[in-house]
Amino acid sequence: MTDLVTLTIDGIELTVPKGTYVVDAAKRVNIDIPVFCHHPKMEPVGMCRMCLVEIGTPVRDRSTGEVVLNEEGAPQINFGKGLQTGCTVPVSEGMVVRTNTDVVTDARDDILEFLLTSHPLDCPICDKGGECPLQNLTMRHGPGASRMDFTNKAQLAKHYPLGQLIVLDRERCIQCARCIRFQDEIVDDPVLAFHNRGRYLQIVTNSEPGFDSIFSGNTTDICPVGALTTTDFRFAARPWEMTPVASICTHCPVGCNTTLSTRPEAAAGGRTVIKRVMPRQNEMVNEIWMCDKGRFVHHYADAPDRLTQPLVRKNGELVESSWDEALELVARRLQEHKDSVAGLSGDRLSNEDMFLFQRLFREGLDSPNIDQAQARLGGGDVVAQVGLSHGSNLAGLGKGDAILVVASDMHQEAPVWWLRVKQAIDRGAQLVLLNARPTRLDKFATHILPYAPGGAVEQTHRLLNAARVALDGEEADPLQAASVTLVQARHLVAFYGGEGLTLDQTEALARVLANLLLLKNDEGVNHAGRANNGLVAIWPHNNTQGAWDMGIRPDAGPGYQPLDEPGMDAAQIYDAVSSGNLRALYVMGADPIGDELMADRGQLDFLVVQELFLTATAREADVVLPARSWAEREGTFTTGERRVQRFYPAIPVVGESLSDWQILARLGEQLGLGKPPYAAGLVFRDIAQAVPQYEGMSFRELARVEEQWPRVGDDDLYYGGTSYDNKSGIGLQWPSAADNTDASVEMYELTPPAGAPAAGTPEPPGESLMAIPITVLYRSGTLIDHSKVLSTRIIPPSLLLHPADAARYDVQHGDMVTVEVAGRSVRLAAYLDADNGVRELALLRGALLPPGVAIAPLQIVDVEKQAAPVEVQTVPG
Amino acid sequence: MGRLRQKHSDIIDGVLARYPEKKSAILALMHLAQEEYGYMNQEAMQDVADILGVDSTHVLSLAGFYSLYYEQPVGKYVLEICTDLACALRGADEFAETACRKLGIEMDGTTEDGLFTVKGVMCLAACDRAPMLQCNLKYVEDLDEAKFDALIERLRQEAASGEEEPSVVHRILAYAKD
Repeated sequence: MTDLVTLTIDGIELTVPKGTYVVDAAKRVNIDIPVFCHHPKMEPVGMCRMCLVEIGTPVRDRSTGEVVLNEEGAPQINFGKGLQTGCTVPVSEGMVVRTNTDVVTDARDDILEFLLTSHPLDCPICDKGGECPLQNLTMRHGPGASRMDFTNKAQLAKHYPLGQLIVLDRERCIQCARCIRFQDEIVDDPVLAFHNRGRYLQIVTNSEPGFDSIFSGNTTDICPVGALTTTDFRFAARPWEMTPVASICTHCPVGCNTTLSTRPEAAAGGRTVIKRVMPRQNEMVNEIWMCDKGRFVHHYADAPDRLTQPLVRKNGELVESSWDEALELVARRLQEHKDSVAGLSGDRLSNEDMFLFQRLFREGLDSPNIDQAQARLGGGDVVAQVGLSHGSNLAGLGKGDAILVVASDMHQEAPVWWLRVKQAIDRGAQLVLLNARPTRLDKFATHILPYAPGGAVEQTHRLLNAARVALDGEEADPLQAASVTLVQARHLVAFYGGEGLTLDQTEALARVLANLLLLKNDEGVNHAGRANNGLVAIWPHNNTQGAWDMGIRPDAGPGYQPLDEPGMDAAQIYDAVSSGNLRALYVMGADPIGDELMADRGQLDFLVVQELFLTATAREADVVLPARSWAEREGTFTTGERRVQRFYPAIPVVGESLSDWQILARLGEQLGLGKPPYAAGLVFRDIAQAVPQYEGMSFRELARVEEQWPRVGDDDLYYGGTSYDNKSGIGLQWPSAADNTDASVEMYELTPPAGAPAAGTPEPPGESLMAIPITVLYRSGTLIDHSKVLSTRIIPPSLLLHPADAARYDVQHGDMVTVEVAGRSVRLAAYLDADNGVRELALLRGALLPPGVAIAPLQIVDVEKQAAPVEVQTVPG
Repeated sequence: MGRLRQKHSDIIDGVLARYPEKKSAILALMHLAQEEYGYMNQEAMQDVADILGVDSTHVLSLAGFYSLYYEQPVGKYVLEICTDLACALRGADEFAETACRKLGIEMDGTTEDGLFTVKGVMCLAACDRAPMLQCNLKYVEDLDEAKFDALIERLRQEAASGEEEPSVVHRILAYAKD
């Protein structure tokens, strides 16, 4: 229980936790103490002096320590001689704060005039104008006319690029250091700093590439002036012209809440387009942050090469057709091939889309052959048992708690989870890390238990066994020390990914982790079924969780209900395509040919593809159905924390495209599934009935909001930044089986772990290296390639080597190497890195191994020397 | 591995050993890097950053904050003349002008032979012996024109002979090693 302190601010008595700063306490009772440098998510510095207030404390008798009372019997308050900065003074018992006296107002006026001595009055052309704390506070406190000699004003660089993403206007900067502190404290990329002193103080970066951080866009949100702007939104629109629409980011399993700011655009022929993507507050998901990929990747929605009309193959050519013609054809051909049909769904689509997809196959075509086009991570059913418990919030983890991360580079796979895990560690949580290579979490880990590539399951199993022994009081080796940390932790959250692992191995890994969570400590308490405990899969995509929930798998229907007769899984489907055992295939939101999961359409008689773009698979299809992007429609996604969240239509429909679920519903009507529902909310109503975990949920429930801290948006721009407040829903997390008090979750039967060399891991044959593909955030792809801003950060297909290995093959940084791996010959840029490379391991960035292969020996067969060394990281994709 | 690490491994290890936090050794290592490269160029900053495991932005920031780190190339001998108030009252401004004229450079300029840079600096705490300057961190006090000429002559000879006494930085860092 935190100690509480009672104080009075402007006559209002309030009680807040000890350690709260005066400005934050005031905010709790809606008293605005203006700030520039202070930010409620960061440590105070007291640099800008805008928050000066009168702070008085009760006078105490020096001999007795008793509070001295005045004539009226009230405590006598000593206000001292000067004003104090409310952002650096913690509250104390009996404190009296005055924020609205003349002396305080005068001080604010003075500080503001001082800040304006060097600040340009270019609000009419400033991107921040209209949502600028300095502008707003100038309206309240600033002088009507400047006393400064304008000709003597600081003349500094107006367009100083801090990198390819962020531009600094040095005249506008008021040196609050919010950006510097964010980079240092919150995201551990200390690539911004002050340079010089006094009047010459400036923000600089010296990283390569400039401002090298995947979270850089957040600094533009918390910049209290227009000094930091993104190259994406710079001079693009005025804040008041835009309509904010609530949305969800669709680029990783975190499910950051976002706001799409839209505006009709002359350059787009009057169409309403997305001008920027901003974080929207959800303190349980992304707080007020988001990563740069999510912020800058949106351009594909407005791309000119979007599909706008259904295409039907006639005389060998794909030609435009009407929906009626295309759907009639699809329905007819699917029915013809009823006995030999399969459906593959991407895992980026909404729950409504996937629910109707499986219904179309299972009920409309009586076909059980459904799977995710590219299932890379297993264990969804385990997550349903012991997943992160209902009511959890990573922000609630701290001292006494533990976090386990296995087989994942969280920084690249789920950036905002990485950020929140890092914050939890800063608050005192302990991290146990199991990886085959170093990642950005290593420096925060209490215990690092590396394993040979492919050995994640075995290593985790050893950890589990150690935990069992540790319960008997032994603590001999690192494995046991780590297991003690985990088992004795007050709360334990276990994250797992699939780096270097096959699908089967990830399933096994999930089970081992489940048993670890279910293991009872000395007090008979385990880590399942209580808030802030449980398992989280770091899914490859934003709605892989939804795909599991909706039954996009051959062996279970919606809500994890097992099927008596499982259908073909994706691997079997791909085999059947080439062998001719499958006649018709429906691909929704996936590109198996482009992703090299299948070579071509093989022996298929009929291929239908539902897509945004004419992908490699779509080019071979008989019918191509144009789908709407997430920005043109509504629906729900389910995050990796199993939170179901709504997104809303923001821009007009592109061409004649339809929402995926609408297409499926219309097809369903032709296949006898009844009249199509006319709204996504009605599909969701069916989901809530069919999926027990979603029981009680509805679009209305998902749209509920609650008051969140810190306050952002509207009148609180000066306080939390320009992140939008949440008016459209914080979503609902579905309870795992362990949360259900009636059910008892049993430990899984595990096959005993193998001995020291991890079973199933091929030994490196002689001189060759072992290759594992690793996930990079900025990997080239259909969607990200439409973003010009991000093109400079795309990491080309490359081979990350340890310099010692590179020397053996005479490979230098920047060389183009041809490698043979898993029966393929691939040309890759060589990237040498002593810190992130691992001896005898070849890390494939932006290049995948064939389906089913997670790790394979790699031979370097050719090295093309570069005339000049190439900086691999900055080569445009 | 950077040039600094390769050439001065002993000194660097000695300096690092004196600090519980590696990062705290940054100012000392920056002096060493500046001696090695002549000024805080990109390589110098990167070498220091790599040794300490910090981003080079941090090195740049400190180079910008402290006036004894030079961000632009300077001569072999940096003559930093105190022109603060007390020295100015004893003729430091005139002395500085004379010094520049004799070397044929402007304030903050460097002679064409790359030997001398003259800078005007804030108080060096030797007001009683003004005009004064520090040359590569060594004080030269109670200056007049003749003494300045003699100093320049001596430095020219030293540079020509190639026999130099150890720099202040090296002396201090070598001491740190013990």
